Amino acid sequence: MPQLQTRRWPVWLICCLLSVVHTHAQNDATVPQQVKVTPDMRTQQISISWLGGSATLFDVMILRTELNETVFYNQVQATFNQTTGRYEWNWTSAEPLECTSLSVRIRSRRGAVTSEWSSTQILQGNDLPTIANYQMYPEERIVRTGGSTTFCCIVAEGGVFGSVQYGKTAMNATRLSRRSYSITVTHQAPSNRTGTNVVCTDALEKTKLSGTAVFVGYPPLLSDFHCETRDLTSAVCQWKEARDTRLYGKRRTVYSLNKRKCQKAGLGENLMTCSAEHWEGNWTLEAANALGRDSISDSAEIRHRVRPVAPANLSAVVYAWNATLRWNWGYDAYNSLPLVCQVELNFHENKTKRTYTSVGLTTLRLSELYPNEKYSVKVRCGAQQNFWKWGNWSQPLSFKTNIDVPDQPDVWMHINNDNSGQIIWKPLTARESHGPIASYEVTFWSPKENLQHTETLPPDTFMLPINVTRITAFTNDNQVVATVTAKNAAGYSPPASVIIPLRVADKSHIESRVAYMDGGFRLVWQDDSNSSCGYVIEWHDALCQQDCYLEWVKLAMGSTNASIESANFRPGVKYNISLFSCSSELLQYWQGYMQELAPSRSVPHLSIRQEDSNVFLTWEAMPEAHRRGYILGYNIYLNNDSQLVLLANLSGEESRKYTVKGLSKGTYKFTVKAFTSAGEDTGATISIRVDQLDDWLILNMLISLGTLALLLSIASFFCYRKRKWVKTAFCPDIPQPKLNDDWGRTQGPLDVRPSPHNLVHVVEKPELDSLKGVLVVIPEEDEEEADRIGDASVDTDEPASLRYYNQMIDERPVRPRSPDSSDSSSSSMDSGQTDVTYTGIQTSASSLGFHTDQRDSAEFGMAASGDGYRPQRQPASHNSLPIPPQSSQAACSGGYKPQSSWDLNSPGEAEEQERLAPCLGSPTSVASTQFLLPDGESEERGEEKRPLSASAAGWFTNLLSSAKP
Amino acid sequence: MAEQQQQEEEEGMRSPNTPVPGGSPTGKALSLARLLQYECSRLLQLYTEQETFLSELPAEGGRMVSLGSSTEEPDPEEAARRMHAALRQCLGLLHCAIARAEEEWGEGESDYETLRYTVRIRLEHLLHTTKNLLQTDDVALEVTPDIRCDEETDGSGGAFQLKLWTHRVLLELVHWADHATQALHVLHTQREGAQDV
Repeated sequence: MPQLQTRRWPVWLICCLLSVVHTHAQNDATVPQQVKVTPDMRTQQISISWLGGSATLFDVMILRTELNETVFYNQVQATFNQTTGRYEWNWTSAEPLECTSLSVRIRSRRGAVTSEWSSTQILQGNDLPTIANYQMYPEERIVRTGGSTTFCCIVAEGGVFGSVQYGKTAMNATRLSRRSYSITVTHQAPSNRTGTNVVCTDALEKTKLSGTAVFVGYPPLLSDFHCETRDLTSAVCQWKEARDTRLYGKRRTVYSLNKRKCQKAGLGENLMTCSAEHWEGNWTLEAANALGRDSISDSAEIRHRVRPVAPANLSAVVYAWNATLRWNWGYDAYNSLPLVCQVELNFHENKTKRTYTSVGLTTLRLSELYPNEKYSVKVRCGAQQNFWKWGNWSQPLSFKTNIDVPDQPDVWMHINNDNSGQIIWKPLTARESHGPIASYEVTFWSPKENLQHTETLPPDTFMLPINVTRITAFTNDNQVVATVTAKNAAGYSPPASVIIPLRVADKSHIESRVAYMDGGFRLVWQDDSNSSCGYVIEWHDALCQQDCYLEWVKLAMGSTNASIESANFRPGVKYNISLFSCSSELLQYWQGYMQELAPSRSVPHLSIRQEDSNVFLTWEAMPEAHRRGYILGYNIYLNNDSQLVLLANLSGEESRKYTVKGLSKGTYKFTVKAFTSAGEDTGATISIRVDQLDDWLILNMLISLGTLALLLSIASFFCYRKRKWVKTAFCPDIPQPKLNDDWGRTQGPLDVRPSPHNLVHVVEKPELDSLKGVLVVIPEEDEEEADRIGDASVDTDEPASLRYYNQMIDERPVRPRSPDSSDSSSSSMDSGQTDVTYTGIQTSASSLGFHTDQRDSAEFGMAASGDGYRPQRQPASHNSLPIPPQSSQAACSGGYKPQSSWDLNSPGEAEEQERLAPCLGSPTSVASTQFLLPDGESEERGEEKRPLSASAAGWFTNLLSSAKP
Repeated sequence: MAEQQQQEEEEGMRSPNTPVPGGSPTGKALSLARLLQYECSRLLQLYTEQETFLSELPAEGGRMVSLGSSTEEPDPEEAARRMHAALRQCLGLLHCAIARAEEEWGEGESDYETLRYTVRIRLEHLLHTTKNLLQTDDVALEVTPDIRCDEETDGSGGAFQLKLWTHRVLLELVHWADHATQALHVLHTQREGAQDV
């Protein structure tokens, strides 16, 4: 143990030294004495004061007493109050001071050395057990918009804290003490008139609550402040609140004018007023509420701020054309005040203002009023010099002016073509009648004969029919004057006269068109020296012929142009406009449209007819009533149902026919549309079925064919009757051939079948067939017979001695002889066949080899090489001819060669064609009248018809093709 | 208490266009009472819409308008007279509420404030009607407000307390308007029979 005590002594020594140092320091920093805490509940500020020491720096500690939570602990610079000898320092609490008790203690500080803490001073809150009820603080706080406020709720003893609501928002609460809870609201929005409620409720019992109302608003903000005088003595100052402070009732803004409180600042349309008994020249308005204050100033002389009161006791002395207004002011100071007054005059829908000036104005004369008119007037005035503002309007005064005689009526006349007519005048308006019209009087007067007749008409009559013929019967004068007067209770109007010409002017030679421009028909004419009293321009609907609705206008003497305007002008209506001298002499005459429209209907009576391939369209003129503009022409369309194809544009109204040329067969629809400058009408459509001219061609061809058939029949009949002669002429008996050797292996008759081609045309230009070998048939008949044959032959250009050519077979139908035979010739060459132009039967040399073997062919070739006549072989089925044994030699000598021939219609024709093909081009002699002259049966049946029909068909085809456009 | 308030409000919210009970004095008084009943309920509704925290606040604090306790069931005439006396106190409360509100917040033009003025006029009208209906040579009836506005009346506890107090006044109005309807209905039944009810 001693060892332990020995080891402890250094620690004890250090503690003693520290204690000495500390004691020394405490001796230097005096402990604050008599600490006093003074609260300001409204500002939530506590003033702390104490005595003692010379230090200026103190440590202040503030705690929530109940929970011993530090609210504030810091060094503060205290203020020494020389008067009281106490140090003072203020602190503002975030929470209302009623929320909970606060403990305050202070110690003085000198550098790092501090004194002992003072005794604790407690500021009692309202959460003491002795105050047991529910409470809410602060009470009725007025805060600025956007600010922050901390509220606290003190729960009743025994109660359970539930919630705190700010307005409609539930807030999070912070516990300050056993019974006290606080919420802090930031960015507070302006409250309504009765404030924003902050309500604290018990968690268990709804009826247990506490609350407060907070008023969030703005400090006053003034604008538009000015002072004026109404009575030239006192002042009335006005201003506006630039924004609503949101504070009302006992929290409202309080105003003072030049330090005198405004007892009751009037409020109207955000305009506040405050009055002063005397004008002071300089004015200052101050406004204050719980959140702040504002002031605004104005300075002016009283004469510069005169705003007169409303004229009082306004009255009027009324006449027909004017009235005198009287009123009074009520302040003597106005008598010397130069005033400018404004009279607002209301009548019907019109409102005019007139201005009058005078010193102390109390009466004025309203001139230029209309008789028999109701007026309402009111007056207001302002200072003429240094005008400030108009005063108030007086109470309106109504009166009616007296009546007067009517104005002169506007009279005109119109004579129809049938010499009937009318005297017409425009109804007098209320402005012109000056009172209810009682009647009209029309007086006819013949100047030369001084005859006079008067008719009285009721007030609703504005026209008197006349008959010029009847008037003429009663007077020898050239003209009659009609005078019209209107009458009302005040008397007669000035008379209005019009001259009735007793002859009707001819309009036809002076008509011209006039354009409508800038809202009217622009008329220009040359001044007529005879029209010394002016002109009358009259217009009416051009379609109207009798008792038309007339409009007219009278122009002064010397006028040479006018723009005729009328609300009655309608688009699409043509107007007749006539210029008369004042003596009713027609000077000029126009027609025009206010606005042209497209015709209202299609062209009438559209018709169509066909001639050949053309169609002719015709139509009639558009009726005047449907034109609605000047017809400029017509458009002709081909109507394809889906669209209109413009065919022609015809200019001029008179162009009312059109021809569509070169139409092919088909149905066509044409649409014709008349057009004005405004466009086309709806169009008239007509259709036509164009008959093809082929029908005519077919008819012509049939007629031709019939004629040809008739001629051929006649020829056939002739040939039949003269067949012997024909046979002699064309088919002479062939002499018996002489056979020198064995001409064939078999001595049977030669079966010469006809070529598949039954038509043979002898080529008329043998020189073109130079490539072919030529066999010349030399008949043995006498010259006379040969001559006969030549005369009777169809081929009249054939030489007297028939020549047979080797030929190439053409299966095509025989065509009529063409002028250009080279075509047919060449085509024959191309096909490997040759047309032989001849009215006989064609055959083929190849047929000769049809029924012979190779040797036969060789023998035939030998025969062909010889000259002289050679018999021809024929098929057994035909007329058997004796076959000369030396035929091959004869053929070779260039004489007659036999040819095979068979019926065209024989079966196996195609096959035979093929078999014959290798023989084409080989020199073959054909010479047989048998072939050239068929028997009478075949002649009658078809061998003549076939070429005929083929020829006709070809001609028909050519016609068709040539007929096509 | 809350159920009673709800029942009163529901009854009060009946349309004022319900059939009027004829043109007899009691009929007219009954019609007026019904109209007042509707308007008081509507006024309470508007006020709770304006001060929303009151919508969930049950009535408390007992009757503001009290009549002398009577053990016996009064006859219809007497019940109507008691009703008349209660309405006079209600009128006094309403006068105080209006004056205090205007002092506190100024004169507004909201629907509540407009209807509040209407209810005051209607209540005065009903008092005049019932006075004419019930007054006899022996019994004189007054129509003036029977309550003076002082701190004892409204508590003068600030704006929030004024709102609570006003709410109580409106509840009282609804209650006594309903009571007046019932009393006048009984009186009308007694005087006019079952017809026109």
